[in-house]
Amino acid sequence: MNVKPLHWDPYKPEYFSDPHPVFARLREEAPVYYNDQYDFYAISRYDDVQAGLGDYHTYSSSRGDILEFIKANAPIPPGVFIMSDPPAHTAYRTPLTKIFTPRRVAAIEPQIRAFCANALDPLVESGEFNFIENLGKEMPMRVIGMLLGVPEQDLKAVQREADAKLVTEAGKPMDLTGHSFTGEGFEAYIDWRMKNPSDDLMTELLTTEFKDENGLTRRFTRDEVVIICSILGAAGNETTNRLIGWTGKVLAEHPDQRREICDNRALIPQAIEEILRFEPPGPSVARYVAKDVELHGVTVPAGSAMCMLVAAANRDERKFENANTFNIHRERLPHLTFGYGFHACLGNALARLEGRIALDEVLNRFPEWDVDLAEAKLTSTSTVRGWETLPAYTSRSSRRPPTRKSA
Amino acid sequence: MPNITFIEATGQSHVVDAVSGSSVMAAAKKNYVPGIDADCGGGCQCGTCHIYVEPEWRAQVGSPDALEEATLGFSCDVRANSRLSCQIKVTPALDGLVVRLPISQR
Repeated sequence: MNVKPLHWDPYKPEYFSDPHPVFARLREEAPVYYNDQYDFYAISRYDDVQAGLGDYHTYSSSRGDILEFIKANAPIPPGVFIMSDPPAHTAYRTPLTKIFTPRRVAAIEPQIRAFCANALDPLVESGEFNFIENLGKEMPMRVIGMLLGVPEQDLKAVQREADAKLVTEAGKPMDLTGHSFTGEGFEAYIDWRMKNPSDDLMTELLTTEFKDENGLTRRFTRDEVVIICSILGAAGNETTNRLIGWTGKVLAEHPDQRREICDNRALIPQAIEEILRFEPPGPSVARYVAKDVELHGVTVPAGSAMCMLVAAANRDERKFENANTFNIHRERLPHLTFGYGFHACLGNALARLEGRIALDEVLNRFPEWDVDLAEAKLTSTSTVRGWETLPAYTSRSSRRPPTRKSA
Repeated sequence: MPNITFIEATGQSHVVDAVSGSSVMAAAKKNYVPGIDADCGGGCQCGTCHIYVEPEWRAQVGSPDALEEATLGFSCDVRANSRLSCQIKVTPALDGLVVRLPISQR
């Protein structure tokens, strides 16, 4: 019997539609995996990934949290808090935490529902809709745009620019030539907001006081606000979009559980958690190895790039019983989809709420659906995995595809 | 088995048996104590398993570490005796622990 040599990288399209078999091999055969083509290490077991994400002294974010950034060793401006370590990271993140509390986020539930209604109501009669084109691409963008204070007519341009920066050509690393952390048009809004304050996040960022890493109490500079808005705008769009896509696909393949959820909406929070565990929108996060570390008999030298394979860790049988089974009733243990430690997703409350509401509002209009995987498209980036388009059909639709995809 | 008393903001009390080695949050969830959301399932990430430790228990329970402090930034109405219940491990020394729940986790 010939066993195929173990190989994985984040760029090959063959790993995108179903990476879980190769992740299983990594966990068992190479819990510390080295890829010599792109020169990076990867860990895949739950305990190792959680411990690694919690150990910023060894696994630093200061060279970036995306593999290409770490390899390029590009300078990172202040304010890019996602790519920094404590204490600088703590100084920036602490004032931002109060903006994304579950309480603050709950206050905009009516608007989130309204965005979903606007997106889905026109489609009810036809009985067909697209989880991405109609909902994933629309609602999260509008929510973060509303929070930031971006005018409606400019939302699409902001989204396109954010997405373009994160897309990779299938099979290749991200092209960083000409990359800058600013852009997405935020400078113009911020300059305007400085003169015309409102009750949005941009104004709050311009006026909030914080203690910086040097102990000085001050406001964010204009450049820092531009950077922070760019990060939040990008983070709030694509990842939540992908969560909505995976909700559509995974529940189409588990109609019994979908029916249970439809009949008892109190199951939505745990359903969303299980979807997040099962198919994380961000399957891998990267770190710079700041000092030599030994794990499972392998010495990973300082200066290496390390991929934390969150999607593999979420399927580790050592942590989750029957890990490869989608089960909304499983004992709730923390998944690593939003990360762990000081860099765990700042927007997790917002993402959870958007995911829950999107599912609730879809079920309100479409209690069941099939997805047409032949017409669907999976996107390749080094940071985000998910559907670019995902058509869905219900019994009301006049044109169901001949091959129905359902469990 | 150590027992824990959870007092809701309304004043209603719930006394539950807790499992040594698991968390105070798990004891609440397993016994259907209302008022702890625990969105993230115990990952010290969401801030919605927030409780107040009664004064006489504070020294025994201990203080939050830096990560828990940071995550408490997501919780509502944080006070000096606030803790995230998913980060408190149940031990025999905590038998009789009394904690109060906030009005809301969001």
